[in-house]
Amino acid sequence: MNGLFTPLKPVSPGLRIVLGVSCFVLFFLGWGIATYGGFVRPLFLASPGDSLIAGWALFTEFGFAEDVVVTVWRVFAGFALAAALAVPLGILMGAFKPVEAFFEGFVSFARYLPASAFIPLLILWAGVGEAQKILVIFIGSVFQLVIMVAVIVGAVRADLLEAAYTLGASNRGVVLRVLLPAASPQIFEALRLVLGWAWTYVIVAELVGASRGIGHMIIDAQRFLDTGQMIFGIVVIGVIGLITDLAFRALHARLFPWARGRA
Amino acid sequence: MSILSIRAVEKTFPGRRGAAPTRALTPTDLEVADNDFITILGPSGCGKSTLLRIVAGLETPSGGEVRLLGTPVTRPGPDRGMVFQSYTLFPWLNVRDNVCFGLRERGVPRAEQREVADRFLAQVGLRGFENHFPAQLSGGMQQRTALARALANDPKILLLDEPFGALDHQTRELMQELLLGIWEQHRKTVLFVTHDIDEAIFMASRVVVMSARPGRIKCDVPIDLPHPRSYKVKTTPRFAAYKERLTEEIRVETIKTLQMEA
Repeated sequence: MNGLFTPLKPVSPGLRIVLGVSCFVLFFLGWGIATYGGFVRPLFLASPGDSLIAGWALFTEFGFAEDVVVTVWRVFAGFALAAALAVPLGILMGAFKPVEAFFEGFVSFARYLPASAFIPLLILWAGVGEAQKILVIFIGSVFQLVIMVAVIVGAVRADLLEAAYTLGASNRGVVLRVLLPAASPQIFEALRLVLGWAWTYVIVAELVGASRGIGHMIIDAQRFLDTGQMIFGIVVIGVIGLITDLAFRALHARLFPWARGRA
Repeated sequence: MSILSIRAVEKTFPGRRGAAPTRALTPTDLEVADNDFITILGPSGCGKSTLLRIVAGLETPSGGEVRLLGTPVTRPGPDRGMVFQSYTLFPWLNVRDNVCFGLRERGVPRAEQREVADRFLAQVGLRGFENHFPAQLSGGMQQRTALARALANDPKILLLDEPFGALDHQTRELMQELLLGIWEQHRKTVLFVTHDIDEAIFMASRVVVMSARPGRIKCDVPIDLPHPRSYKVKTTPRFAAYKERLTEEIRVETIKTLQMEA
């Protein structure tokens, strides 16, 4: 059972990095061959070099840094609002079954309402300013997060609760000092996932009625058929996503050393 | 003096989706004297754990009553310390804080919590492991921590639900000696559920044998072996005589269980 392809067999950390990097290398190699090799016309797909040059121009001539900041701010504002409501509500639903019975049906229904479909309504209600963009992200994330947190809290091992009761814990003590710490690593993991989804909503929100932001820049670039700028914008989103993901993972390892290898 | 009295306690679990309800326990009486070490011996599924969980307050009886020092048991409480068969240490707390848990819930000052926790950890042989997390411990060490956690609360009675059931045979025997040693020192009243005959005789002052489902107490055998008991007692003729008798009692019940399932 020493083969590299034995199911569930872990790889060494060194090989892990090599393999992960090779995927990126292959991706850029394929992209380079397709464009520099003349297989795809530049109008449809800019080469990696041209995209990079377009990106340089974006930062130096078009103030793209401000777009990035605006978009990041929208994502985090909408996500933070959603988390501030969804995490406590999800915990209450997971812990107290009457609360769950009350909200579950409605939240499950609301979860399937596509956030982007709310954009026209939100423009009507909140105009085309920041509030509207943030609300799109909020609506897109909050219901998903509530359900995920409720499920996580509801799945905490019952025998841990029983042990706490036999040690003299009250209901309040069990919620605060057993359910919460037991569920927090996975709640954190759920936040990481939902933040990823929030990024998809922000771009959709910025495609309509925005004057700044990465999504707005991409729409602007489309008008001039500047595929280099479009691609650069998309890649920037990916890079920011990757960075936040790594930050979340590092924070998870720091906050929950006891849960190593479980999440 | 009787510290715990179980009177006509019975339990029927409602049937799910129209299935017939399951009668786990027929009306059962048991008086537990102060300082008693009672092992409840029975085949699996005989309702012995149900009885223990009713005493703990984790299950409500369908009839009858449990009284601890005259007070009816209605809910779990720190006066009845429990060790479960599954590993129930809180994984986010280190060993010391696990042992402190009950004291903390009751608002004992931090310095006193630590002092009590360290004393009981030393007693179960875990000095030096105070700052380890449960995931870093072996099964035997986890159950010893769980025992220290239950003892730290100074309960009136200790309820043990097959606490060594998941451990390997050798570790299990050492754990029995450890628990017996602690009992010989503190004389804490113990109610210990097991299906292991050797374990039941070795530690007990009384072995209560339960019948196959629906469970009832079939016989009550006082174990008259001297204290302090060492593991060597397991090879004496008197131990063998107890074992022979209890083996017969349990065998009949196990066969009944098998026939029920067939």
